[in-house]
Amino acid sequence: MTSKDKIKILYIDDEQNNLNGFKATFRFDYTIFIASDTKQAYDYLKAHPDISVILCDQRMPDVTGAQFFEEMREQFPEPVRMLITGYADIESVIDAVNKGHIFRYIKKPWTDTDIRSAIEEGNKFYLTNSLLASKNQELQAAYDELGKFAYSVTHDLRGPLLSVIGALDLAKTMDSIDELREIFGMMDDAVKKLDEFIKNTHEYYNLKRGRMVFEDIDFNTIVSDTSAMFRIAGRMDNVNFTSKVHQTGPFMSDAITIKIVLNNLLSNAFKFQRRAAPDKFVDVNVEANNDRAVIVVRDNGIGIHESHINNIFGMFYRATSEQPGSGFGLYNVKDGINRLGGTIEVTSVLNEGTTFKVTLPGRANGTN
Amino acid sequence: MVPTKKNHFIIIDDSKLDCFIAEKIIKNTGKCESVTAFQDARNALEFIKTHHADEHVPTIILVDIQMPLMTGFEFVEEFEKLPMTITCNYTLYVISSSINDNDLNKVHNYASVKQFLNKPLNSNNLAILLQ
Repeated sequence: MTSKDKIKILYIDDEQNNLNGFKATFRFDYTIFIASDTKQAYDYLKAHPDISVILCDQRMPDVTGAQFFEEMREQFPEPVRMLITGYADIESVIDAVNKGHIFRYIKKPWTDTDIRSAIEEGNKFYLTNSLLASKNQELQAAYDELGKFAYSVTHDLRGPLLSVIGALDLAKTMDSIDELREIFGMMDDAVKKLDEFIKNTHEYYNLKRGRMVFEDIDFNTIVSDTSAMFRIAGRMDNVNFTSKVHQTGPFMSDAITIKIVLNNLLSNAFKFQRRAAPDKFVDVNVEANNDRAVIVVRDNGIGIHESHINNIFGMFYRATSEQPGSGFGLYNVKDGINRLGGTIEVTSVLNEGTTFKVTLPGRANGTN
Repeated sequence: MVPTKKNHFIIIDDSKLDCFIAEKIIKNTGKCESVTAFQDARNALEFIKTHHADEHVPTIILVDIQMPLMTGFEFVEEFEKLPMTITCNYTLYVISSSINDNDLNKVHNYASVKQFLNKPLNSNNLAILLQ
C-alpha cells in the first residue's frame, strides 16, 4: 500500500506523549496527523481535505472534544469523528452522540485493537458517504440534462412534426402543382430535420451510456467510410472535398466515438457553406502515431461569429437560423472527445471559414 | 378618407416552413394587406424600429418562442423597450410548439403579448385573432 492509499487520520490531544505514542504505533498503517490544539487541527483539515477519520481527546484546556466536533463539522462535514474519553465524561459523551457530533467513542485507556477496528469502521462509513455524495452529484447532473432534454423535445421533436401537419393542412387547399412541389420540398426538410435530431439523440446515448471499446484504429478506413456517406447523400455536390491521412503506427481508441466526432464535424463543414461561393472546399487531415492523433477539419464556409464561439459546444446551442440544426452535434463531439481524454480547438473567421482541430491520446497497448 | 380594414402581418419564426405556412394561410384569408416574414428576430426588431407602421390598422406580429440568436421572449423584452409611439401600432401574439408550463406561464408576464397561440397556425386560430 502506498502512502497515497493509506487512510488519513487526524489525532488531537493536549498531551504530547499521547500524540507521540499514537503516531509511533499506527504510522505504518495509516497516514497520521497530530495536533496539540484545535487551531493546529483546523490547519491540517484545510491542507488535507481527504482526512477521513478524526480522533479527539475530550478533555482539553480551551475546549472539550465534543465542543470542537460540534463546531468543526459545520465547515468540514465529511470526516468521521471519534471521541477519546474516560468514564468520568460519560454524560457529555452521551450528549455528543445524541446530537450526532460523533460516530463512535473510544474508552480510555485504549488498546491498539480498539483503535484499529474503530478506524476501519469509521473509514468504511466515510467511503460510503463520499461515494453517495459523488453519486448524488452525478445524479443531479444527469437530472439537469434530462430537464434540458425534455424541454428541447417539445421544440425539436414536436416542432418539425407540427410544421408538417400545418403544411399538409395547407396543401389540401392548393391546386397548383408548382405550389405543391414547393411545399413538399419544405416538408421533406422538416422530416429530415426530425430524423437528424433522433439520430443525434441516439448518438448522445451511445456516448453517455455506451462502454468504450478500445481497438486498433485505421484512420484511412474511418475517413473514407465517413466521407462516402456524404458523397452518397449528395452533400459533396459543388464542394471540393480533400482528405489526407498520415498514420505511422497502430493507434488504440474507441472507433464509434471517433466516427461520431468526424461525422459531426464533416456534416457541419458541408452544411455551413457560403451558398454563392465559387470555390467551396472541405478538407480533412489526420496525423496519427502510437501516442496521439490529430484530426483537422477545415472549410471556407460561413464561419462563426466571435460572440458565439464559446457557446458552440453547449447543448442545444445554435448560432444560426440559416440552416436547420439540432443544437446537439457539437455537444456530442465535445462529450465524446472528453471521454477519450482529448481536446478540441476551433478557429474561425466570419465569412472566411472554420477549422476544428481534435487531438486524441492513443490508449497504450495492453491497458485495455 | 375611408380607413382600410386589412391588417399588416409580421411573422417571426426560424423555421422556413412555418413562415411559409403562416404566409400562405394569412394571404388565403383575404384580410391582409401585407405579410413580412423574418427568420431572425433581430432583423424583425430592426424593421419595426425603422419602418413607418400603418397608424390606422394595427400590424399583427406572430412570434415563435424557441429560436437561435434571439428567442421570442428576448424579442418581446426588446419590443417592450421601444417607445409607445411605435409599439401602439402593433398587436403581439406568441405562437409556439411548446407545451412547457414555464413557457406558457411566462407569456402571461408580458403585458404586450395579447395571446398565446398553438402551432400549427391554421385558418381556425387565425380567425380568432382577426375578429
